[in-house]
Amino acid sequence: MSDAKEYFVQGNEACVEASLASGLKFFAGYPITPSTEVAEGLARRLPKAGGVFLQMEDEIACISAVIGASWGGVKAMTATSGPGFSLMQEAIGYAAMSETPVVLVNVMRGGPSTGQPTRASQGDVAQTRFGSHGDYQVIAFAPASVQEMFDLTVETFNFSEKYRVPAFLLSDAEIGHMRGLLRVPPNIEVIDRKELGVRRQDKASEVPDSLVHPFPTFGRGHKTMVTGMTHTDDSRIEPEDPVVHSELVTRLNEKITKSRKDINRWEVINEDARIMIVAYGSSSFGAREIAANDRRIGLLRLKSLWPLPEEPIADVAGKCEKMLVCEMNLGQMYPHIKRVALEAGCRTVELLPKIGGDPQTPSEVRSKLREMGVI
Amino acid sequence: MDIFDFYRKDRWPHVFCPGCGNGTVMNCFYRAFNELGLDLEKTAFVGGIGCSSRIPLYINSDALHTTHGRALAFATGLRLSRLDLSVVVFTGDGDLGAIGGNHFINGCRRNVDMTVICINNNIYGMTGGQASITTPHDYQSTTTPYGNREYPFDLAEIAVAAGANYVARWTTRHVHELTKAMKTALQKKGFRFVEVVSQCPTNFGRRNKMADPTQMLEWFRESSVRRDKARTAAVDHVDLNLAGQITVGEFVSRDRECYEELLGVGKHGV
Amino acid sequence: MKPVVDLKYCKGCNVCVYICPKKCYSRGAEISEMGYFATHVSLPEKCYNHNREGKLICELCVLSCPDQAISWFPETEEEKGR
Repeated sequence: MSDAKEYFVQGNEACVEASLASGLKFFAGYPITPSTEVAEGLARRLPKAGGVFLQMEDEIACISAVIGASWGGVKAMTATSGPGFSLMQEAIGYAAMSETPVVLVNVMRGGPSTGQPTRASQGDVAQTRFGSHGDYQVIAFAPASVQEMFDLTVETFNFSEKYRVPAFLLSDAEIGHMRGLLRVPPNIEVIDRKELGVRRQDKASEVPDSLVHPFPTFGRGHKTMVTGMTHTDDSRIEPEDPVVHSELVTRLNEKITKSRKDINRWEVINEDARIMIVAYGSSSFGAREIAANDRRIGLLRLKSLWPLPEEPIADVAGKCEKMLVCEMNLGQMYPHIKRVALEAGCRTVELLPKIGGDPQTPSEVRSKLREMGVI
Repeated sequence: MDIFDFYRKDRWPHVFCPGCGNGTVMNCFYRAFNELGLDLEKTAFVGGIGCSSRIPLYINSDALHTTHGRALAFATGLRLSRLDLSVVVFTGDGDLGAIGGNHFINGCRRNVDMTVICINNNIYGMTGGQASITTPHDYQSTTTPYGNREYPFDLAEIAVAAGANYVARWTTRHVHELTKAMKTALQKKGFRFVEVVSQCPTNFGRRNKMADPTQMLEWFRESSVRRDKARTAAVDHVDLNLAGQITVGEFVSRDRECYEELLGVGKHGV
Repeated sequence: MKPVVDLKYCKGCNVCVYICPKKCYSRGAEISEMGYFATHVSLPEKCYNHNREGKLICELCVLSCPDQAISWFPETEEEKGR
């Protein structure tokens, strides 16, 4: 760590640094508060790093161009917020169906619709998982600091490459714009996709080919055929065949759900506490302060949101008596967390929602815990 | 190159209807590509959604079959990430001009190096014959059972106005001229746009008293006017009914800097 | 060279019948194995490429055929004589 370089930067800027460190070579963006700094930072830095920066005509063009670039074999990313994220859903489904590694940064703001462009929320977390039509799985991370805007961006790239899936960094207006300390270690682990016809010994090749097929990059003589239609392993288009469809879509989903243990990221404070708060990103700030000062209260802070980290949730739920979920929305992770917790034996799982732009304060969390009768 | 070096033998024959103009366009493209001695290994094909967008799936090369209307955006990303590959896009009137309109005009404006073949059959054929933004006024479609109240776009003129480096329009009745235009397009740099007015006898012709593909070809022949000889009204942009004509020929051939040059990156062109 | 219609691919659309300036093709009267009234090369000796080798001309039929069903074949001595 003493070799690490230290910076005092904005969350969005940390994301820019991390994407470059991960080997980003193509970015297509559209201005939207509060994510614009990511695009502006990359407009300055990416061309100097030998990459291409494009401002496209709309968000649909952005995500489409990013997917196209990924098929050229390069790491590609876009950044947006709620309204743009909604526009991108069709293409996200296409990326999932065609197994294209792409990274999408969503710096969430108040919604629905134009909502609160400059205030934070966690209102898109359910959409990240369910936004496009059909059954598919994605990977999503939720940073809670400037440092994590860096670290988790690197993870987002790595997992997107490893599992050939669209992966998301779910930040918000607070974390995107806050300034803080960033330490960049000299060596960062970077994972590149398994390529068809290229033999390597690395993290990506540890995943069996039957689960994640090697990536047939364009222009290498593979005569690759990519489509969003139902297709077989050898790219025949077979939309009428129920077996082909079922096998394909099942594999796309299992590819992620079966890899949960590899993907799950979380942090626990006071893991044997009888009262466990579950939160992520900005909604964890108030809870963290309480847990740091009161060993009766624990905090499970989720650093990855999708696939749902069932194991860590079940683990703390099995040990605690009551659970409180804090979210900056009206309960989007809550139903899923509650299901897992109740199955694991926790008898009470409540929600402290907060919308409007501010995270739950320590006193608000304390009031709720008092109301729950635990303090 | 032999026909089955160019097409995927295991996907043959194609699924286009009897008399469909797509097959004709494929012939002209194959001939143009072949006569120029181009290399399929150095070319990538992109298509949106629709009958014409399926053409890339029949060609023995890398093919990206994208979402409806977004072929140009995908192609932009692919091209700019791989300057060693030439990109050819096959799209349709609805895919390009309706849902893809924004990407169309900005693609022309941005002038990224790619060849775009828009097969304009004046209808949404694959989905059964709904009106398109190029369906002529008063014509029948499944969504205009009382006759199309709207007026059509002139896609070639839009491309000219938006800045494309090369714009030409021919019909499937003009196979030699079309082949030659494709050859010219494939050799230029920047955004090259070839519009081909093509017959959809099944879903357009049949509802408009031209069920036989030869009737549609005759309609193309009768309505086509060479651009330099076109009646003024046809190039008067106020008359969106295109004065009942199909203006054919080369609309523009210019050498605006392509986007790659403007970015200062690598190779461009064929 | 003479034009030959591949009955595996011809769908009887008759574009060749329409487009040929020398009226070499005629509409099919019989149903082919594929189930279409496949077109018939009734007057191959009228074709511009009759008795022509090397660089061919016209080729409107080959270029127009939506099913890539027409291709050029060398003529026999007997066919060349017609």
